[in-house]
Amino acid sequence: MKRSYRARNKTIPLLTTVSPVAIWLILLVAAPLLYVLFLSFLSTDGYNVVFLFTLDNYKNLFNPTYLEIYANSFLIAFFTTAICILVGYPFAYHMARAGKRKKTVMMVMLMVPFWTNSLIRLNGWKTLLGKTGFVNTFLQNLGIIREPVEILYTRGAVLLGMVYILIPYMILPLFASIDKLDHSFLEASNDLGANKVKTFLHVTLPLTFAGIFSGSIMIFIPSLGYFFVSDIMGGGKSQLIGNLIETQFKAGNNWPFGASLSMMLIFLILIMVTVYKKSGGDMEDLGVM
Amino acid sequence: MKRGKVFLLTTVMAVFVLGLTACGGGNKNGTLNLFIWTEYIPDSVIEGFEEETGINVEMQTYSGNEEMLAKVQGSNPGTYDIVVPSDYMVENMISQGLLMELDKSKLTNLENLDPAYLNPSYDPESEYSVPYMGGAGVIIYNKNMVEPGADFTDYDELFQPAYENSIVALDDFRSIIGITALSMGYGFNETDETKLGEIKEKMIVLKPNIKSFDSDSPKTLMITEETAVGLIWSGEAALALAENDNLDIAFPDKGMYLFLDNLCITKDAKNAENAYQFIDYVLNAEVNKEISSEFPYLNPNTAGVALMDDAYKNNKAIVIPPEEIAKGYYVQNIGKTVDIYNEIWAEFTK
Repeated sequence: MKRSYRARNKTIPLLTTVSPVAIWLILLVAAPLLYVLFLSFLSTDGYNVVFLFTLDNYKNLFNPTYLEIYANSFLIAFFTTAICILVGYPFAYHMARAGKRKKTVMMVMLMVPFWTNSLIRLNGWKTLLGKTGFVNTFLQNLGIIREPVEILYTRGAVLLGMVYILIPYMILPLFASIDKLDHSFLEASNDLGANKVKTFLHVTLPLTFAGIFSGSIMIFIPSLGYFFVSDIMGGGKSQLIGNLIETQFKAGNNWPFGASLSMMLIFLILIMVTVYKKSGGDMEDLGVM
Repeated sequence: MKRGKVFLLTTVMAVFVLGLTACGGGNKNGTLNLFIWTEYIPDSVIEGFEEETGINVEMQTYSGNEEMLAKVQGSNPGTYDIVVPSDYMVENMISQGLLMELDKSKLTNLENLDPAYLNPSYDPESEYSVPYMGGAGVIIYNKNMVEPGADFTDYDELFQPAYENSIVALDDFRSIIGITALSMGYGFNETDETKLGEIKEKMIVLKPNIKSFDSDSPKTLMITEETAVGLIWSGEAALALAENDNLDIAFPDKGMYLFLDNLCITKDAKNAENAYQFIDYVLNAEVNKEISSEFPYLNPNTAGVALMDDAYKNNKAIVIPPEEIAKGYYVQNIGKTVDIYNEIWAEFTK
C-alpha cells in the first residue's frame, strides 16, 4: 500500500480480494435485512402480503399481551445470563489455571457436545427429566420423593435448556480473558497484603470484566430468540420473542408483523452492542469482526 | 507472483460460478420434480415408479404448507411439478392461479378413491386436487388416569379441573381455538368477534390443563404416561394405541378437526405428463397399500385400504368411521380474522 503504487495496481487486487466477501455480505446479509425492513411496512389480507404501506405493524408491537411476552423473554434471558456467569466463571477460571493436559480435557468436554445437534440434545433432556424419566425414577428409588416431580414443561426447564445450550459461549470468552490475565498482578496484590477473596474481587474480576460482558451479550441475545428451547423444554407454554416471530411467519401468516418484531429485536440488539462498545468493549471479543 | 494469485482466484471463482449453472442436467426418460411433506411417501414407492416408467424422480421435502407456498412462489415457474398442499392451502393456491386444472381422463385410478373425499369444500369440483392422505384431530386418553366414566365424546371434558397439567395438545392455534368454539356450539372457523371473545374466556379454563403443546411427537407423552389425555393427529394416535394398551381413542360428538393433503400439479409444471403418471401410480391399489403400510394416516383410497390386513382395518385411529369424518371440519381461510386468532393464541401461550 505504498504511495508509489499506481492506482490500477492497487484497485484490481483490492477488488478481487474484497469483492467476493462484499458481494456475499450484500446478497446474504444486507439484502435480506432490507427486505425485512421493507416487509415490516406492508399489510396483509389475512393470507398474502399486500403492497399497502402501513405503520400498524409497529403500533401492534405495543399490544399488552405482546409486552408481557417481551417481559417474560427478557426475564428468561436475564436469568440464563446470570446462571451462565455463576456456573461458567468457576469453570473458566479453573480451566485457565489448569495444567496443559487438564486444560485440553476440559476444552474437549466443553466442545464435544457441540458435535451433536442441539435439538437432539434437548430431546435427550426430555427422556431424563420426564415423569418416568431417569431423574424421577432415581429419586424415587432413593426414597427422596414419593410422587414424580414435575420438572419438564416448566419455566425452570426452559431456563435449564437455555443454560445448557448457551453456556459454552460464556465460558470461552471468560477463559480467554482469564487466561490473558497477567500473573504478576495477582502476586503484587498478594505482596501488598490482600487475601485471596480481596484479590479476586479487586484484581481478577475487574480485569476479566470484558470477558463477562462479551459472554453476556453472546448469551442474552440468542436466548431472546431460541424459540425451540421453549417449545421442547417448556411445552410451548411460555412464549419468547422468538416464538412470537416464528408464529407470524408460519401458522399466523402475518409476515409484515413478524418483520416488525424482527426489526424491534435487531434494534434492541444494536442498542446493547452500542452500550458494550461505548463502555470499552472490544468487538473482536464478540467474534463478529 | 501477485498477478498469478489474482489470476488463480479469478479462475477459481469462475469455475465456481460455472459449476452452479451446470447443475440440473436432464435425464433421457424425463424427470419429475416432486415437492412433498417429509416422511410422507416410502422410498420403495419412488423406486418402483422410477423402475416402471424410467422417469427420474427429484424429490424435495417441506414441513409446512406456508413453507411450501413460499418456495413455490419464490422459485421459477415450473420448478416443481407436483406439490402436496393441505385442504386450505389448495384453496389458496387455486385462488392465486398456482395449480393446473387436472385432465381426469389421464387418471384412470381415480375410481379407487372414496367419493366421500371428492368435491371437498376447498375444491368443490375436485378440479385441481387428488386426495392423498390425511388425518383427524382425535382425543386419546389413558383409561387408568382419567375420571371414572370419562369417554371424551364431549370436548367439555377437556376443560375439567381434574385434568390439571395432564393434557398434551397439538401446537396449532386453529385446532385449540376451533375445538373450544365447537364445545360452545360455535363454528370451527368462527369469525364473529364477540363469539371469539367468549371463546378466549373459555380457553383460560383450558390453559392450566395443558402440559405441553407438541405437534411433532405427542404420542411419546401418551405412551410414557406423562399425560392422561391427548388431543393429537389420528396417525400419531394409531402409533400410540399400538404401543400402550391402556390408551383408548375418542371421536368427539361435535365433530373433529380434519386435514387432507392433496396431490396437485403446478400451473407451469414442465413435466406435467410425468406428473399425471405419478399421481395415477400412487392411486394404484397395490402401491397405495405399500404407502399405508408405512404411514398409517387416514387414507381415502378405498381400494388400497381393502388390501390391508385386519389389524389395520380394525384400528379405529386409522380407519376412522365415515360418519365421524362426515361430521368433521377443515380449516378455512378466515381472512383478517386470523389476526384475532393470533392475539388469542399469544394470550393463551404467554
